[in-house]
Amino acid sequence: MIALESVSKRYGSKTIIHDVSFSVEKGEIVGFLGPNGAGKTTTMRMIAGFTTASSGRVSVAGCDMATQNDQAARKIGYLPEHPPLYDVLDVSAYLRFVAKVKGVPRASIASDLDRVIHACKLEAVVKREIYKLSKGYRQRVGLAQALLGKPEVLLLDEPTAGLDPGQIHETREVIRAFGVDHAVLLSTHILPEVTLICRRVAIINHGRLLAIDSPAGLQRASEQTNQVSLLATGPSDAIREALLAVDGVQSVNVAPSAGANQLLSIECQVENRDGIESVIARVVAARWSLHRLERQQPTLENIFLRYISENRETA
Amino acid sequence: MNGMLAVYQKELATYFRSPIAYFVIAVFLLGTGYFFVYNIFLTGIGTMDQTLQNMGILLVTLIPVLTMRLFSGEYTGRTMELLGTLPLRPWQVVLGKYLGAVTMLVLMTAATGINLIPLFLYGNPETTTIFSGYLGFLLLGMACLAIGQFFSALTQNQIVAALITVPVLLGFWFVGHLQSFQGSEFLRALLGYLSFSIQFGDFIRGLIRSEAVFFYLIVSAIALTLNTSYLQWRR
Repeated sequence: MIALESVSKRYGSKTIIHDVSFSVEKGEIVGFLGPNGAGKTTTMRMIAGFTTASSGRVSVAGCDMATQNDQAARKIGYLPEHPPLYDVLDVSAYLRFVAKVKGVPRASIASDLDRVIHACKLEAVVKREIYKLSKGYRQRVGLAQALLGKPEVLLLDEPTAGLDPGQIHETREVIRAFGVDHAVLLSTHILPEVTLICRRVAIINHGRLLAIDSPAGLQRASEQTNQVSLLATGPSDAIREALLAVDGVQSVNVAPSAGANQLLSIECQVENRDGIESVIARVVAARWSLHRLERQQPTLENIFLRYISENRETA
Repeated sequence: MNGMLAVYQKELATYFRSPIAYFVIAVFLLGTGYFFVYNIFLTGIGTMDQTLQNMGILLVTLIPVLTMRLFSGEYTGRTMELLGTLPLRPWQVVLGKYLGAVTMLVLMTAATGINLIPLFLYGNPETTTIFSGYLGFLLLGMACLAIGQFFSALTQNQIVAALITVPVLLGFWFVGHLQSFQGSEFLRALLGYLSFSIQFGDFIRGLIRSEAVFFYLIVSAIALTLNTSYLQWRR
């Protein structure tokens, strides 16, 4: 439904997006993950047809965005980062305007409006001017606008920004329901959101696509290395040497603990092996004093941070 | 076509839900009323000539207020991203907005018709001259609106849009004055041709020249085309 083939975007001599390729299929929700300024919004805008790619090919529902922008536009629902609302209009006038432009047949405009108003829980504010609405309502009016006309492709740029926890939950349910038979690309920097509703995750930073896989797949790939964190007291060099001598320990990082003096905070990257933490515990406890030990399974957050920081080192 | 119509309706709704339209109409009608009373009752001449001339210059100064928000407002409200991704071609946006503004102009102009009631009751004015004067007034307004709308597309700042539009329109209005300083026949003709006020003067005197009609329509068309190409280029 959405396909990007080695897409780049340059502004003058500055390249914002480097050679990004991925695709989103029908019935799939893909999370687009990256820190602020990573290129999420620019990529979204290229897919939505607001800007054109400098090189490479963007196609949506079989239409090339460079040449068949108009046909594709009918199949796209797009919620930009800042909901594009006309403050002086009331909610129903605004939605009616978007429905008309999207070419919703006159006879079904009313029912389509009811559908999105119900889905986004806007019943209470239908006749209110948009400038009077709270941030959460504005965000949901923006989402309602994107859902109008049942587009085949839904692009949501941080759809849950500015919502309270209850609204976030409701919005996720709306997106999840819509994702069953549509293609949804959802950008966010909220990690749990991705694990909760996305089938696949694309991680982007500095305009480069770093990984794309299912949340579980990303987790599996990085489970090859686990992390063991310790708090101990003793001479840092001796502890480092002793730990590096343990079979399966790949690297050791020792730093004074931020909280208490004397304490050392030690992080070891280890192979994914059963019982390795007890070996480490025995080695340390035998000669020095061990205060705490923890083995961490990589969470999506760790994986994300690792991708981002690796990228930062190479960049 | 439907897209353009939707943009048009949205524009009209926006005009009437913000104070600007009411303000412009009020100032325009007050000004027109003042000129009318002054011209008719103080000079005692029962024609619209002088009043229409005054309305022209009033219009030139008020149009920038009507047009300044047309695109600048879309940029600052971040709604350009909506218009740019909905199934709308740039010309549909440009024309929809333009027709919305022209509708405001027509409404404003129609409201000045109230002045004609005492004129016809107590005087004996020439209907055809008044008709041609009003036609010229609308054409003049349409050209000014197209120019103002184009400048509004160039900047995010509504005030800047208005500040560019005012001197440009005043320039077109007064450019005819330069005629007197030109020796060359060609330059004199050119300056006369470009002058909004000289072209308008013919209409006021009851002369509908096809050249003058085309002049205003061509100015509008050029401004609207520039406007459309600019939006296309921004992508």
